[in-house]
Amino acid sequence: MELNKYILRRLIEITVIFFVILTVLFLLFRLAPGDPVSRMVDPSMTAEDARRLIEQLGLDQPLGTQYIIYLKSFFSGDLGISFHYGVPVLDIIGERLPNTILLFTTSVILAALTGIFFGKIASWHKGKKIDSWLTIGALICHTLFLPWLALIIIWFFGYRIGWFPLNGILSPEIWTDPANGFFIRMLDVLHHMALPLMTLFIIHFGSYLLVMRSSMLETLKEDYIITARAKGLEEKVIRNHHAAPNAALPVVTSVALSLAFSINGGALTETVFSWPGIGRELVFAVSNNDYPLALASFLLIAIVVLLANLLVDILYAWLDPRIRY
Amino acid sequence: MSIDSAIPRPLWGVMSRLLTYGLVICLLLTGGPACSRGKQAAALKIGLAEEPRTLNVWLASDANSQKILRQIYQPLYRPEPATLKLVPWLAESEPVFDPETVSYTVKIRPAKWSDGSDLTSADVAFTARLIKEFKIPRFSAKWSFVTRIETPGPRTVRYYLKAPTAVFLSRTLIGPVVQKKEWESVARAARQLEKPLAALLNHKIASPVSSGPFMLTQWRRGAYLHLQQNPHFFGRNLTIGGLQLGPHVENLLFKIYGTSDVAILALKKGAIDMFWQGIQPGYLDDLAKDPGVRTISSAKSALYFMGFNMRRSPFNDLALRQAAAALIDRDFILTRVLQGHGQKMFSVVPDENIFWSCPDVDRYFEGLPREDRIRRAYDILTRSGYSWEVPPVDASGQVQTASGLRLPNGAQMPRFTILTPPADYDPHRAISGLIIQEWLRELGMPAYARPMSFGALLQQVKERHDFDTFILGYGKLPIDPDYIRSMFYSKFDRPRGWNMSGYRNPEFDRLANASRKVIDPNQRRELIWDMQLLISRELPYLPIYKPALIEAIREDRFHGWVPMQDGIGNIWSFCRLRPTTLEK
Repeated sequence: MELNKYILRRLIEITVIFFVILTVLFLLFRLAPGDPVSRMVDPSMTAEDARRLIEQLGLDQPLGTQYIIYLKSFFSGDLGISFHYGVPVLDIIGERLPNTILLFTTSVILAALTGIFFGKIASWHKGKKIDSWLTIGALICHTLFLPWLALIIIWFFGYRIGWFPLNGILSPEIWTDPANGFFIRMLDVLHHMALPLMTLFIIHFGSYLLVMRSSMLETLKEDYIITARAKGLEEKVIRNHHAAPNAALPVVTSVALSLAFSINGGALTETVFSWPGIGRELVFAVSNNDYPLALASFLLIAIVVLLANLLVDILYAWLDPRIRY
Repeated sequence: MSIDSAIPRPLWGVMSRLLTYGLVICLLLTGGPACSRGKQAAALKIGLAEEPRTLNVWLASDANSQKILRQIYQPLYRPEPATLKLVPWLAESEPVFDPETVSYTVKIRPAKWSDGSDLTSADVAFTARLIKEFKIPRFSAKWSFVTRIETPGPRTVRYYLKAPTAVFLSRTLIGPVVQKKEWESVARAARQLEKPLAALLNHKIASPVSSGPFMLTQWRRGAYLHLQQNPHFFGRNLTIGGLQLGPHVENLLFKIYGTSDVAILALKKGAIDMFWQGIQPGYLDDLAKDPGVRTISSAKSALYFMGFNMRRSPFNDLALRQAAAALIDRDFILTRVLQGHGQKMFSVVPDENIFWSCPDVDRYFEGLPREDRIRRAYDILTRSGYSWEVPPVDASGQVQTASGLRLPNGAQMPRFTILTPPADYDPHRAISGLIIQEWLRELGMPAYARPMSFGALLQQVKERHDFDTFILGYGKLPIDPDYIRSMFYSKFDRPRGWNMSGYRNPEFDRLANASRKVIDPNQRRELIWDMQLLISRELPYLPIYKPALIEAIREDRFHGWVPMQDGIGNIWSFCRLRPTTLEK
């Protein structure tokens, strides 16, 4: 019952925060230098054309009126039409978001599971060779510059030995051939996913390992671990059943937030691999003053981050019975 | 304790099984889909730097959408590659001008749309009326002087003009023609709405009906666009502009490459036949090692220039602009910044535009060494009443570091900025700005190059007119030089107008107005040349350079690219390319 009340209170808070974010973002985009029309460097675009276009986009209205119109549309489920694509922004997000979720969520989950696993091993063998190797490896992975790593991986696996496609999400040659069925097409997507997944895995894996290792080392100093040892429990049981679940709490936070931020996709990864996700769209929208698309993308991130925080709080209570709200 | 003992036994089992499955899947993945390749007959694979934003021809303003749309919607006339002279394309012949009624009559070729229906004068007239009625941005200004459109026959269109207008053929009739059947209902629905133009621009076109050599068969967003030969293309086997047309390529596949690095690897690997985007000269050495890849350098119809704000002091003074022009060494910029891959510019009309570019414009001490440039600039300013605390040239005529430049009224010259786009947007312009800053400082001018985001720069220069100087560029300039009227005509010196420098000269306005009315090309050229000479003398803009367009292609699968200004990615190439296997 306590938890239900807590969730309700947090949902109210989240709603208020969300509308503050919406207002700030709305103002930020409109007050930023430039507008979607002035970027069209084409002498055929006369001043009259520009004025007419601004009027049609609704940007000639006072800021307050624009805000009220946006809020009205927002409550009716309409987040506007992209200035550049000429289609509802929800359609664009609907097309791109699944690609981002597929790639980034998979990479975060895989990296987290592997990071937790090897972090546990590293901490258990603190000071030994295996710990040193894993820690150094994790530090290297954590500090790698993503575009460089991505290009190296593409060059080696895609070009040099040619095991995987260089970029993209699918091969037109396969998808335009009606003879290829669902299975081949899905294999093709997985095939294309391999290199970006490998890149993201390497980048994320190190940080999870390090967080897990340091958290585990702290946990191993706790009284209940000494008690467990005093009771004569097996080392494996102490590590896997007593230490690891408690040590995993910070990693859970990290994973939940990573999942939330994976919505913005990491525009760099998506650009290098030409992965058609929401991250690239967000960068495009911001740099081209496509206000409806940029605003909707950021609002999506805000919603997911806020809900992920709530989820983390609930997960904490579930994982650690001492935590009560 | 070993790792083995740190990992629970059942987990080991699971992990090793997963590893095995993973390897098997990897093998399947690397081999499986690859086996299905090669079934696509003669597909020309083209890499694009970005995905097209839209296939709505009225909304599309990005280069990649245009690349696709140019295969689909065709104009009545288009420039032929060798001379850039306009030749009839969808039109059958040159337009016939009737001075009595001030009308042009255009006869169109027998042509069909990709859905098999006839392309008639009704489509051509509908397109013009649609543009005029909805005042479609980027198109409507070209139609403002057309009063009426008639269709005396199914293949004849007659346009009535307010007055004889030279740009009617070269600017108006080179626009795309859309199918009436496809757009009529869209226009009808748009008229009922509060914002009809927005409704028209936001209409989603899933599969545009084509009159071009190719038609869209599939657009899988984020992945590729597939175009197929249009069986009804009017140009098949015709000879236009001295070139016999196909197309001979069955399919076009457009793939997206977010970075040039990956696109170049794809080209070397054979995953694409062409990367339809200019590449940096830094790639040339690497590509030269690959025998299958060829790089082609083409002239760009572009203008990169320094603009001065003539609305306020001190750049409203011609002497100061001339001194700046004397200091700018185009050879240095060409060799050091562009690494030799570009051309110096002296007129606002590129040299390649042979007919319209004026060869007599001032070349501002071309080839002069640095110190002599400083001396010339010093002379210009001294003659106009400028003074220095420490002049750039001492009593013995030696060049020295100048400081404390004073305007003719005795006031210290205020610091001023050279606005440029940032290096990540265009490194050439950003670096040129810094170099020019140093050159101007040699004369004691307190210049500060300031790279800023492109949107902010345009807003400051074009909308607010709040700037001293700037470096900007125009790409894809039309062949007809009517754009110089937009750039310098007094009427366009207003917020969002293209007269960004605020140049106002009644003589220029007179010439510009006259140049629009004169129909005879040779007479008109005289006027256009006079306009260029005036700009060259008064320097609202100082043309500096234009970079070359370097494109990379593979030649082992297709051949027959047609070189042209603005690159080999032109409709002539796509109508002429042939698979190499066909030859064999």
